Amino acid sequence: MPTLLETRDLKKHYQMGASTVRALDGVSLTVEEGQFVALLGTSGSGKSTLLNLIAGLDRPTEGSLRIFERDLAQMSSEELSRHRRQNVGIIFQSFNLVSTMTARENITLAMMFAGVPRADRDAAAGGLLEAVGLGGRQDHRPRELSGGEQQRVAIARALSNKPHLLLADEPTGNLDSHTSRDILAILKNLNERDGKTIIMVTHDASLAESYADRTITLLDGVIIGERTATRA
Amino acid sequence: MTFRDTVSLALRNLGEAKLRTSLTTLGVSIGIASLAGMVSLGVGLQDQFVERFTKSGLFDTITVTPGQDVPGGLATLARGRRGFGANRRSQRATASADATPLRSDLNDKTIDELAALEGVKEVYPNVRAPVEAKYGSDTEGVLAAGVPMTAKDTGAFQSIASGRFFSSDDAAECLVSLDMAKRIDDANPHGLVGKELILIHAAPNASSPPPPLAGGPLAANASRVEEPYRIVGIIERETGPFGGTAAVSGLMIPLGRAKAIAAATRALQQTFVPERVTERPYTALIVKVTHPQVVQDVEDQIKKKGFTAFSLNDALQGAKRGFIILDIVLSLIGSIALAVSSLGIMNTMVMSILERTREIGIMKAIGGSDGDIRRIFLIEASAIGFFGGVTGVLLGWIVGRIINFGANVYIQNQGGTPGNLFSLPFWLIGGAIGFSIAISLIAGSYPAARAARLDPIRALRHD
Repeated sequence: MPTLLETRDLKKHYQMGASTVRALDGVSLTVEEGQFVALLGTSGSGKSTLLNLIAGLDRPTEGSLRIFERDLAQMSSEELSRHRRQNVGIIFQSFNLVSTMTARENITLAMMFAGVPRADRDAAAGGLLEAVGLGGRQDHRPRELSGGEQQRVAIARALSNKPHLLLADEPTGNLDSHTSRDILAILKNLNERDGKTIIMVTHDASLAESYADRTITLLDGVIIGERTATRA
Repeated sequence: MTFRDTVSLALRNLGEAKLRTSLTTLGVSIGIASLAGMVSLGVGLQDQFVERFTKSGLFDTITVTPGQDVPGGLATLARGRRGFGANRRSQRATASADATPLRSDLNDKTIDELAALEGVKEVYPNVRAPVEAKYGSDTEGVLAAGVPMTAKDTGAFQSIASGRFFSSDDAAECLVSLDMAKRIDDANPHGLVGKELILIHAAPNASSPPPPLAGGPLAANASRVEEPYRIVGIIERETGPFGGTAAVSGLMIPLGRAKAIAAATRALQQTFVPERVTERPYTALIVKVTHPQVVQDVEDQIKKKGFTAFSLNDALQGAKRGFIILDIVLSLIGSIALAVSSLGIMNTMVMSILERTREIGIMKAIGGSDGDIRRIFLIEASAIGFFGGVTGVLLGWIVGRIINFGANVYIQNQGGTPGNLFSLPFWLIGGAIGFSIAISLIAGSYPAARAARLDPIRALRHD
């Protein structure tokens, strides 16, 4: 499979008062298209920082981060926003839906930034909500939806601009175990059926084991282990 | 992101915070109302001033006299105005006289020549016919001023105390000043309207052929012409030499009549002293321009021709400068409220960014660029400016109408003429709304830049 993402000695340091926090301290990693990768680690291990760098929400301090042969470290903020718009779809632990907008509007907002014409947006948003099983709840606002439903809206939004790469930051962290399985099933399905590459941050080892192809464990900003699932 | 989407998103965001949006908009509209109201007052006062003074005939009139090295004609006409600036004026006249030969041919041909100049409405001679007025058995020698029909309703003829203006240019009618009317009938001057006044002037004897024999009796060649004139009206005030469209004197007759009498008198003079015949049957010409603004142009053109020309244009220019200063002062007062309301916009936008920090983070995470975010907030600000501007102009207009109504009631009680103290021309409406949008954009630019600069990760963590 062709390489989608490649990091070389990736570092991210923060200045906290007088001391320097080494959130990422030299991560080299390659992800191929179509993989479902879990980034496993305790809080403060740097897994979310890595995900934010891949998402283009933050810039590395050092090292290179190539996605589709382009180095994010060299991109302008305008190019980074285009990267977020076109290449990746992000799913958050706390869903991050705009509370004043309906499910459909949350999805069309993402397409608005991508310049999709209005008529196409409405039709596509309907289809996406249909696909995540929320066909009948298009005009509900986030607070009228359950956590699981909100995360489905977020997944539909992440898919709206047809990215190759889905980034999920603890997508089930705020959900009960039953709902978590539903959400992960959707992600798995997107990976297997639609060939979406998925990078998911989690602290739950068993969850990583059961859904991801690769599990990469981080601690204190470095990779300390990697396992590839063996499947029939 | 398309402009249309940005606008609809911005309006949507404003709609989500209706109370805050409407309070901020109200603040802007009060600011704009005070500014538009103040400027409107300035413009209204200026319009009133210009209209009244234009109607007075003071500022659209140029008096043309024969070209002279020293402005003697001017000095004659503007007696008492020799003080400050007299040297300046004479220098100017001399300077123009250097370039072209002086001219003194104030005749009908010159009238046509001047009437052809651009910006000239009409030209007529300043005619004063020497007559003897007779009422009953009393007589008085007087210079009857020729008044053109166009002078109706202007200058001193705006209000005729009793009676009316002439019915035609050659009607045997006259207007008398209140002073003269009192001399004729002190007890009941206004009762003179409708009575007849006999005007007597001299004319060459038609039957006797000129020139007269030397030493012959002069009286044989002249005859007395007596004509009855009906007094049609009484003018309350006698204004100065420039007052009104024609020189107002105690006795005014239609211009056509005055010209005929003056021509007859002149013919008689020609008979007696032929060597004094000149090219100038008139002592002065009155040039009326289409608009007070072109007075200076026309005056310069006439001076270039070699005549002496005089207008009160300078005075009007001075008054206009005064109005510009008044407008500026009024605008500054009006701007205070607008400055306060622009701080209101800034405050609202900053608050709104604080409140929507997380939303901004979300928008950035799903692909909104810094520019998209900035534009959303700028359009929100300019929408507040637009709505504030529209309601502000409306508010200013309503308040202006109310004050105008009250002021006019007061003015009428004081015996004045009511008028529009507030004027709201289209440029002011458009300008006020445009200014409101511009101010809002300026006030919104800092918050918008702050929103655009927000770090998405921190924004997403914001509660």
